[in-house]
Amino acid sequence: MRKDFKKLMVIGSGPIVIGQAAEFDFSGSQACRALRAEGYKTVLANSNPATIQTDTDMADSVYIEPLNAETVAAIIEKEGVDGVLSGMGGQTALNICSELYDNGSLARLGCELVGTQPDAIAMSEDRELFKEAMERIGEPVPISRSVNSVTEAVEAANLIGSYPVLVRPAYTLGGTGGGVAYDEDELVDICARGLAYSRIHQVLIEESVLGWKELEYEVMRDSKDNCIIICEMENLDAMGIHTGESIVCAPLLTVSDRDHQRLRTAAIKVIRTLGIEGGCNVQFAFNPANGDYRLIEVNPRVSRSSALASKATGYPIARVATKIAVGYTLDEIPNDITGSTFAAFEPSIDYVVVKIPRWPFDKFRTVDRHLGTQMKSTGEVMSIGRTFEEALLKGLRSLEIGVRGLDPVDLTDEQIEEELGNATDIRIFAIGEALRKGWTVERIAKLTDWDRYFIIKIRNIVRMEERLRKNPGDRELIREAKEMGFADPVIAELMKTDELKFREERKANGDRSVYKMVDTCAAEFAAVTPYFYSTYGRSSETFRDENKKRVIVIGGGPIRIGQGIEFDYCCVHGVFALQEEDVDAVIINNNPETVSTDYDVSDRLYFEPLTLEDVLDIIEEEQADGVIVQFGGQTSVNLAVDLEKALKGTKTKVLGTSPDDMDVAEDRRRFSKLMDQLGILQPRSGTGYSFEEARIIASEIGYPVLVRPSYVLGGRAMEIVYSEDELRTYVETAVKVSRHHPILIDKYLTEAIEVDIDVLSDGEDVYIGGIMEHVEYAGCHSGDATMVMPPFTLSEKIINGIVEISEKVALALHIKGLMNLQLAVKDDEIYMIEANPRASRTVPFISKSTGVPLAKVATKIMLGKKLKDFGLSGYRSIDHFAVKASVFPFLKLPGVDSILTPEMKSTGEVMGIDEDFHTACYKALIAAGNKLPMSGGVYITVNDQDKPRILDAARGLKDMGFTIYATKGTSTYLRENGVDTTTVFKLDEKLKPNAIGLMRDGKINLIINTPAMKSGSRRDGYTMRRLAVELEIPFMTTVQGANIAVGAIRVGRREKLGVRSMKEFHVL
Amino acid sequence: MARGYLVLEDGTVYEGSLFGYRSSADGEVVFGTGMSGYQESLTDPSFRGQILVMTYPLAGDYGIVDGYSQSDRVHVRGLVVRENCTEPTDMYGGRTLDSFLKENKVPGISGIDTRDLVIKLRDSGSMKGAITDSDVPPEETLKKLKKMPLPMAGNLVGEVSCKEISVSDTGKDLTVGVIDCGTKSAIIDDLSSRFNVIVFPYDTPADVILEYRPHGLMVTNGPGNPSHKCILDTVVKTEKELASRLPMYGICFGSQTLALAMGASTYKMKFGHRGNNQPVKFEDRVYITSQNHGYAVDADSLEGTGLFANQINVNDGTVEGCRHRDLPIFSTQYHPEAKPGPADTLFLFDRFGKVMKEGRP
Repeated sequence: MRKDFKKLMVIGSGPIVIGQAAEFDFSGSQACRALRAEGYKTVLANSNPATIQTDTDMADSVYIEPLNAETVAAIIEKEGVDGVLSGMGGQTALNICSELYDNGSLARLGCELVGTQPDAIAMSEDRELFKEAMERIGEPVPISRSVNSVTEAVEAANLIGSYPVLVRPAYTLGGTGGGVAYDEDELVDICARGLAYSRIHQVLIEESVLGWKELEYEVMRDSKDNCIIICEMENLDAMGIHTGESIVCAPLLTVSDRDHQRLRTAAIKVIRTLGIEGGCNVQFAFNPANGDYRLIEVNPRVSRSSALASKATGYPIARVATKIAVGYTLDEIPNDITGSTFAAFEPSIDYVVVKIPRWPFDKFRTVDRHLGTQMKSTGEVMSIGRTFEEALLKGLRSLEIGVRGLDPVDLTDEQIEEELGNATDIRIFAIGEALRKGWTVERIAKLTDWDRYFIIKIRNIVRMEERLRKNPGDRELIREAKEMGFADPVIAELMKTDELKFREERKANGDRSVYKMVDTCAAEFAAVTPYFYSTYGRSSETFRDENKKRVIVIGGGPIRIGQGIEFDYCCVHGVFALQEEDVDAVIINNNPETVSTDYDVSDRLYFEPLTLEDVLDIIEEEQADGVIVQFGGQTSVNLAVDLEKALKGTKTKVLGTSPDDMDVAEDRRRFSKLMDQLGILQPRSGTGYSFEEARIIASEIGYPVLVRPSYVLGGRAMEIVYSEDELRTYVETAVKVSRHHPILIDKYLTEAIEVDIDVLSDGEDVYIGGIMEHVEYAGCHSGDATMVMPPFTLSEKIINGIVEISEKVALALHIKGLMNLQLAVKDDEIYMIEANPRASRTVPFISKSTGVPLAKVATKIMLGKKLKDFGLSGYRSIDHFAVKASVFPFLKLPGVDSILTPEMKSTGEVMGIDEDFHTACYKALIAAGNKLPMSGGVYITVNDQDKPRILDAARGLKDMGFTIYATKGTSTYLRENGVDTTTVFKLDEKLKPNAIGLMRDGKINLIINTPAMKSGSRRDGYTMRRLAVELEIPFMTTVQGANIAVGAIRVGRREKLGVRSMKEFHVL
Repeated sequence: MARGYLVLEDGTVYEGSLFGYRSSADGEVVFGTGMSGYQESLTDPSFRGQILVMTYPLAGDYGIVDGYSQSDRVHVRGLVVRENCTEPTDMYGGRTLDSFLKENKVPGISGIDTRDLVIKLRDSGSMKGAITDSDVPPEETLKKLKKMPLPMAGNLVGEVSCKEISVSDTGKDLTVGVIDCGTKSAIIDDLSSRFNVIVFPYDTPADVILEYRPHGLMVTNGPGNPSHKCILDTVVKTEKELASRLPMYGICFGSQTLALAMGASTYKMKFGHRGNNQPVKFEDRVYITSQNHGYAVDADSLEGTGLFANQINVNDGTVEGCRHRDLPIFSTQYHPEAKPGPADTLFLFDRFGKVMKEGRP
């Protein structure tokens, strides 16, 4: 171990984006714990407040600051950091470390890179260097050339000799900007984009290995050159689909020992040649026709795949990599799972693991759903079974996309053929459908490029469906189906019986799930890991201390739009709080990226789907005293009512707010009635069962109205409509309205200020955790809105009103634990928008801002403690500002409009925290990846109402020397008011100069565009917004947003920004 | 599918589906933790007399592949798995495990909770067991099992060693004599690519071996107890006589007999090491090795024999390899030839060449 280090730093990965999700909170947290256990002082930097690693007790100093080289250098300097770990914060941290090394900052500050060294990083990341290194050791790589321009790219393709060719940008994450080019035109397009995304403006043009198997090896190496393989994984989808987009299984299922050993040996040769110390991921393409292979890529750090490998095997890769980084060798590091062996071994698993990506297409209905080399998924689920079929079915029902297994899909033969050959997110279901229609395994295998082995496995599932349908009540068959992983509701439906009735009969027949342990060693050694999965077998291996109470925390499942890492944070805090109260904390979750599924965190971890059946089975196995449904977001709330019903008469209680009270908040009618009783205003609303009814309600309420179907049918879900015509269009094109599927209509409060409040209550007292004012007007989803705590424009009277309403509602709903309220303020009146009787996504943000750990206190309240016990009551403000800004996936998802609407679109969030309001805003905006210009040109085009209001921002920008471009109306108004502008033409005038041309020329660096109040004009700006996304030009669609940006730019133009650790802020 | 039983000598009965050849089988029930390499294990002569339980639940996924077998037949007496794959990938031709077992007249049983079974074997140690048809009452099987001697009571090496001396002269500089105690073909392959190879039956006397003028002697893997009288009288005796005359390298069973020849002792392990992931510390490095053994060299007994343990299992500290202080003699308990498993220690065959050339360890 390195004794010369005193203080070491871990860099996180920032906000959740496509390609970089919760896995780095998991790895960074493991790293921090490992370093502290060795006695090092630790420093952590991350801009994402919804992480466990940014808890003040995870490191000696925690910085929630924008993640860039400048800030990190400032922290290193201030803290006197001796070494920085490069490999724990994904591509973000790796790039920052490379930059700090390249620009000499590390040398200047006397700080070392700990773990994998700069030359090793460069050799792995720079495709040309990588290729040279591999050629030196005789390991085959696809023929390729690095190019820096489109012309060179075309030459390279000619050299390779045939299309398709792959385009891979250097130094990006999740394959951003890459693609497959089938001809020269496509190559030119993709290449231009790829070059723009690459940090070093370089892309690789590469021989195609489409259709080959994609296999991955997780390798570890220490300073003594000991090398081990932790896990090998097989992608079901062939090369051509990014591994993050593929269904993946572990271990290899179709590769022989001989071939596996060839690749294993090659992987070890590679890590040795690159000189990586710690963990890395090696990807191979393997030709099923002749056994040839190519090395595709190496990630010289822990990754999404290593998080998966850790959860799949039980081997804590990040923790061991950290120990290696500080000088330990593998044979010196104990294996915590067995307690008796060491980290120097290769895990052997005795189950099958399946990973399935979770895509956001339910939210982005206009996006191209085809899968390719660019990642589009936001998260993933993992499942464990004793057979492939069992793992697959458990994985599918973990996705929370409304399926219970291999559900049927309604597709024509043509659609199936297209889907199999050209995959989207539903290909696995299309395969099932093809088999149901009797297509041959060979035909499906050929179309999909899948190994027939996997098609046969899916056919086994389809055949079982048929047998179940034909033999209702056959007990042996039921047993066989359960062993294959069939869910109760699926069997019940096929056998035409009720789910819960079926469940009771099944249990009476002795068909109960058993729980096996994940122990890294296939039971060769007695293990002490509290990490389990279900299967149908002879015996369970669970163990527990009968003298302790047991409470189950239901997790949040895969990360998707609307349900991010925040809920995992809450679950983990729930676990910590239970343990502080000496209660055994049991977690159920299926997301391999998260901290909650680290076997170290809870007393027992069940890696399982989160359906009623799976959860009830675990509750029974555990004989749990309580179950917490408030922390897992909508996943767990949706289970509340059914759980309570099913648990009636057992010892297990749903803790906290009663499911019935939760239902009041969730049920529109019951909630409205309660608000009326409490005298709380709500926007007027109604329910229309036909267009005519909807029309009448809308005209009574008055436009604009917010409309949404009670049943989503692949159309747009929620929209603001401004006129009867728009309502008609909405009803005709977007939704299906009928007696059974009404549409819900709410008055849309224009220009209202929206406020989010998180409260804690014990049923007697209420504590207002925080009040957050949205920067954008009401109508922008609260998950997307920029939020400021404490409120920055609201009067004291309004704040008092908000506090009063919050207390009333919390007490009326008998909240025990957390509740989130969304209110709107307009013309000095406060309106109730909605109440969520659970932990919200802002809980970690508030907890970090105030220092009050809301989720922990909530947990203890659920166990019977009172707010008084914590000295919490009423509302107190804070003496600094915390700003939450959201991060959007528009760049990765071509075809999505970047305008903010009532439908959530963001994947993650960051926090800017400072005493000064504008500085906090600046930090939040740049941490969220906005490239705020410090000089240059601004394009302003605003609607008539906004013209007077934009004046301040325009003047401010002019004073800072910005050139202001504006369309005629705005330009005239600004000039009349003394702001000099350059007039440009509107797009439809087809004359130059226009905004698009100026944007492409790099003359416009900031856009302020407030659309007129009708849907049409919102759509008009699409071309410009989309271009802004691609050119990464910040785009403000509200006056408030513009003002915030101008204030932030002013801050950014000042000399240097200070950094401040969380301990230095005064907390409550 | 026909139902059947796996009965253990402690009375435990598992019910499952029979596959492979329809017959009953008995033997010592052992488990292997490799996730791939079932064909190599089934055909490894060291498994003679044993019923193999695979901890990995899926067997036969990639089928049976020409050239992968480690001998000309299946040596395990029975195979126990969670699931038997009836339709493997076609990447390797698609020949099934089921047909392979049928041809070799070996039964298998699937649908067993193998993890439950493995935990039992781990906690209680390897034990006798039998696979039978479901029409045989388990109580009857149990009675038989109790009376049945352990397979290693017999001379298992005698069953699997070659019967005649074979010479392969490919014009290499060095010639290796191999005492075949039931060698895996991979050992012969790795030797043949480097040396001329002469393979001797296990009971070939020392003077006969010397007549062939080998530069060194390889003692191979094999089944059963290394201190069985039939081994002490043959292999161990030969090794003793040749110790000061020829460089020697013993693998697995060969490493145990070498230790016995030098005066150390061996013992039967509780459940042995069978898998592809055993870490061995050697010359300050850790190697992941392929293993298959139920007996081990007693570390304490090496005192005064000239041998010392220069390789140790990282997990349990057992002896993984020895070297002689003065003589050009060394051994590894694991299988550097891999197949199945990692080939991280393949360099030992080159090192053997070096030892033969230089005549010192």
